[in-house]
Amino acid sequence: MSDRDVLIVGGGPAGLSAALSAAQGGLRVALVDEHTELGGQYFKRRHPAVVARHGDFRPAGTRLVTAVRQAGVDCLTGHLVWGVADDGATLLVAGPDGAPHALRARFTVLATGAHERVLPFPGWQLPGVVTAGLALHLATIDRVPVGRRVLLAGTGPFLLPVACALLEVGVRVVGVAEANHPYRLGRHAAASLRYPARLRELAGYLATLVRHRVPVWQDTYVLSASGPDRLRQVTLGGRHAGTVEADVLCVGHGFRPNVELARLLGCETRPDPVVGEPVPVADVVGRTSRPDVYVVGEAAGIAGVHAARARGQAAALDILARTGRAVPPARQRRVHARVRRLARFAALTEALFPPPLHLLDGIPDDTEVCRCEQVSAGEIRATAGLAHNGLNATKGFTRAGMGLCQGRECGTAVACLTRAANPHAPAEAFTARMPVRPVPVTALGVPPRHAAGADRGRPAGGGTPGGEVVR
Amino acid sequence: MSVHIHVDGRRVPVPEGISLAAALVGSGHWTFRRHAVSGRPRGPFCGMGVCFECELTVDGQPGVRACLAHVRDGMRVETCPPTDPDDPSGGDVLAAAPGAGTTEEGRGV
Repeated sequence: MSDRDVLIVGGGPAGLSAALSAAQGGLRVALVDEHTELGGQYFKRRHPAVVARHGDFRPAGTRLVTAVRQAGVDCLTGHLVWGVADDGATLLVAGPDGAPHALRARFTVLATGAHERVLPFPGWQLPGVVTAGLALHLATIDRVPVGRRVLLAGTGPFLLPVACALLEVGVRVVGVAEANHPYRLGRHAAASLRYPARLRELAGYLATLVRHRVPVWQDTYVLSASGPDRLRQVTLGGRHAGTVEADVLCVGHGFRPNVELARLLGCETRPDPVVGEPVPVADVVGRTSRPDVYVVGEAAGIAGVHAARARGQAAALDILARTGRAVPPARQRRVHARVRRLARFAALTEALFPPPLHLLDGIPDDTEVCRCEQVSAGEIRATAGLAHNGLNATKGFTRAGMGLCQGRECGTAVACLTRAANPHAPAEAFTARMPVRPVPVTALGVPPRHAAGADRGRPAGGGTPGGEVVR
Repeated sequence: MSVHIHVDGRRVPVPEGISLAAALVGSGHWTFRRHAVSGRPRGPFCGMGVCFECELTVDGQPGVRACLAHVRDGMRVETCPPTDPDDPSGGDVLAAAPGAGTTEEGRGV
């Protein structure tokens, strides 16, 4: 365990880039990922049988994964990091067979990525309502069309490449409902001229949609989805209000960083300015308030794949420099400049596509907000309206956020509904708890090598072992 | 190249190497399970292992996330079909449909 210099959690673009730079610089690196293949979401690999039929997808990802393996990185796939031991540094891991492991290194790099945010509306739990990410994976990784007549809705530039990927596998895309009004000339459009590569990418998607006569309806959002036992109809509100027949609705309102491990490790966080959800405080190289812990990629704040790769590289170069390896200062400066430039682009994107939180004020009381525990908006509003009830008290009373997804799907909505119902509610996020994902109960056993030292203190922000989701 | 999986006892040809979620959706199966409390149908949602909506029983093992599993020839998949086709609520799913009570029972504890 202790003979490793760097332990990287998450094998997506950021983690892979960090692993490659660190290993090439001579450090002993382990890369842990819960999935059976490296790549994360952006560089998700096609199965060899699909590659044989359709060729590779995003070959840059294949090259990166190959380079990481060739650089001698110890790749622990199928290993889920689910918590932090009492020493506040050792990571607790469930192996592929459910066996308990403990991992520790001199430096820990968290590259835990993000998950898609969907703001609830009536009917969002119907089969046929999916995230845009699910539709993209089916179209690109599996080459399976998610439906016949598909509507995309939500907000963010991400909806456009998803629409294009669906067109490529023969889906009839009936429209893209964008809750904001980003595609117009204005202050932000002028600012975006400084990022010609990103603009070209965006223009390419829009051109494809125009060629296929796919309308993009701005200032338009989903009011409800309905159907007997799966989706049939979507009701839109806003500028292009009306009903749309569709068998699949793909929704996404941006992404939420996965910050549980950073919080459990006691890294300082700040509330992000738009939604108020915790984001780790990190500098340009990803250094957190803990000198031995770095946060990179989407886990450090949503900024896209190019930023993720640059941040991973910046963290690795910083660790190399701190461990006495020669790192040309010019190289470091170049990477830092790239990280900063891409962060400015991310801020621009964020300003153009804010999550339309105001829509939550309008969802009816019988809207199912917590999908796992089936808790309605009305229950959350009524509970949060009681004196002193903040987010976690509301969670405790209603069970909203206590199901298998551990609040990842409903978290933003429960927080916003609580704040709206009770202006005196303390500003807080769901407590970070172990296990950060449901794990087999066998994984909770203490690894033999780690049995000692269990009585040492834990850092601020640490949870208690054994959250409510254990299996 | 196709492989065959068995969905609730029915043999379904699917392309080799795709995810189980893609195989089911591609063959028109959208009800993967029924909610333990309401009995209402649920299908895949996040596609990245986060939401746990796509859990199925695969080769007798409950709680398998279809979005993370790949199809295998001969794979046996159990969804939770309605117990009574005339009853849209699915009836008393906890008693009638094995594995339907995904929160309380059938977990791989």
